[in-house]
Amino acid sequence: MRALSRHIETLGALLLAVIWISPLVFAFWAAFHTTSDAVNFNVTAAWTLDNFRTAWDGAPWLRYFLNTFVLVTVILIGQFVITTLAGFAFAKVQFPGRDFVFILVLMQLFILPEVLIVENYAMVSRLGLFDSILGVGMPYMASAFGIFLMRQAFKGVPIELHEAARVEGCGWFGILWRVYVPLARPTYLAYALVSVSTHWNNFLWPLIVTNSPDTRPLTVGLSIFGAPENGVDISVISAATMMSVAPLLIAFLVFQRQFVQAFLRAGIK
Amino acid sequence: MADPFVHVDNVAKRWNGQLGVEGVSLSIPRGSFVALLGPSGCGKSTTLRLLSGLELPDEGTISIDGQNVTTAAPSERNLSMVFQSYALFPHLNVAENVVFGLKVRRVSAAERKEKLHRALEITGLLGYEARKPGELSGGQRQRVALARAIVANKPLCLMDEPLSNLDAKLRASVRKDIKKLQIDLGITVVYVTHDQTEAMSMADMVVLMKDGRIQQTGTPEDLYYRPANTFVAEFVGAPPMALIEGSALPGFGDTPTIGLRAESVRVAESGAGRLTCKVTECEFLGSETFIGLSHPAANGLTVSMPGLKHIPSGDDLEITFDDEDLHFFDAAGQRLARQVGAPAA
Repeated sequence: MRALSRHIETLGALLLAVIWISPLVFAFWAAFHTTSDAVNFNVTAAWTLDNFRTAWDGAPWLRYFLNTFVLVTVILIGQFVITTLAGFAFAKVQFPGRDFVFILVLMQLFILPEVLIVENYAMVSRLGLFDSILGVGMPYMASAFGIFLMRQAFKGVPIELHEAARVEGCGWFGILWRVYVPLARPTYLAYALVSVSTHWNNFLWPLIVTNSPDTRPLTVGLSIFGAPENGVDISVISAATMMSVAPLLIAFLVFQRQFVQAFLRAGIK
Repeated sequence: MADPFVHVDNVAKRWNGQLGVEGVSLSIPRGSFVALLGPSGCGKSTTLRLLSGLELPDEGTISIDGQNVTTAAPSERNLSMVFQSYALFPHLNVAENVVFGLKVRRVSAAERKEKLHRALEITGLLGYEARKPGELSGGQRQRVALARAIVANKPLCLMDEPLSNLDAKLRASVRKDIKKLQIDLGITVVYVTHDQTEAMSMADMVVLMKDGRIQQTGTPEDLYYRPANTFVAEFVGAPPMALIEGSALPGFGDTPTIGLRAESVRVAESGAGRLTCKVTECEFLGSETFIGLSHPAANGLTVSMPGLKHIPSGDDLEITFDDEDLHFFDAAGQRLARQVGAPAA
């Protein structure tokens, strides 16, 4: 009886895994076959790279890749700077109203980013950052989640290390840079992972705020490439999709172990 | 002595109305080893933190080497510190930990290397430069903390119970190392401990504290032979001094409390003793046996007998002692001048 229930659990897990991965597997399969073979599930059909050639010529992908890469980097750097400083202030600096301000920051977690799209659009336009990579990244830099994460990481640093650094002559920034930041490295790694994958995949906001191929990230480029008015070719769209997700997917597979360890050490799952 | 190296004048620190330390005054000569001794919560660590500048006093002044540093930052006080938990940076290796302060103060690389070598040599850590603190034993970590404290050659070193995380055997050897280091380098050390053996064996001057106030300041001999009050008498020494109500001893009826050390007590022939007690326990220590005694008017009476002795508890034992070995305290527990014409020790 027990063995049976265990088998059912395993089966259920496998079933869920198959359902979850099947779109990706189908896209992968379709990308390497002609459209008719892909749609007819012709398993014995010959493999081809033609779809990739067609897709590659169909849009400025290199530009899109570069845009996404720059966007993700700019956001990550901005987030690291702001969340580090804010997290440190909330964790270790005594100032009046600290808890109140921290609650305000946490409130940001309850608000869906989509709700703010109109307001953010107006703000980005006022700042003259419309249709620029900085404009796409700006609203995400002061991340409440990141501030919370850094505050927790810094709170876990023993006060003796702080005091030892003070006795040795460190100022606030010296202590932050030489003691807190190195000790929070697993947290930075885990947060970078979440941030990069979120913003690599982010779609709605970049779609609204970008207007030209020079600033458009991959996700927006892909959706325009696959839009029905350009004619739907499952195989070519699949090939383009594969190209878009490949860098992140490969990075995940290669650094899987480090990522999991970073998450475990940062104490978030 | 006219110009002490560290001078603490009537310093007080309170936490939200709760008592931290009150009325602490200290004069520490240059090159001396001072132990701040007391039970937990007595304010000894607070006193050390006030000296270091990690806490600022509510009242009073502190001066180090002629400079008034009452409100100065820790880094401006020209001192080093060893923490109870060692406070080694886990992400840095031994060498980086030791030169951390030099690097912060932008000492040149060549000078850093030379000082590092010297500090590691003194503490016996050569060859461990590349290890992380996590890869060291407790004793080695402790030595790294010491190396970090001495590398910059600061004239004053503060130590906050640096031996409390070591096992008993290691503690005895590190105790000697620290004392030797202090003498060789000629630095002034202020050392916080709750272990009176540590304080008595290492310090030139012991400051015994209780409830945020200094009970007695003096050499270890002073504290042992001339305790200022009953608290000092009961805290210092192993076993501590026994306290007897004066009325229990014929001829001392007008003295509220009389103190007596175990080594002054002798077992007497039946009928010749001055007090008759009951045996409560025998504690065998190898060269001697401490026999705990109970008497309705006395507290902590112990007699030391050579070698292994076993006396069943509950047996009667008569003890005697000489008048000049007695210490006298008034009703408030303060020491009284000797009453019985005996010469002062």
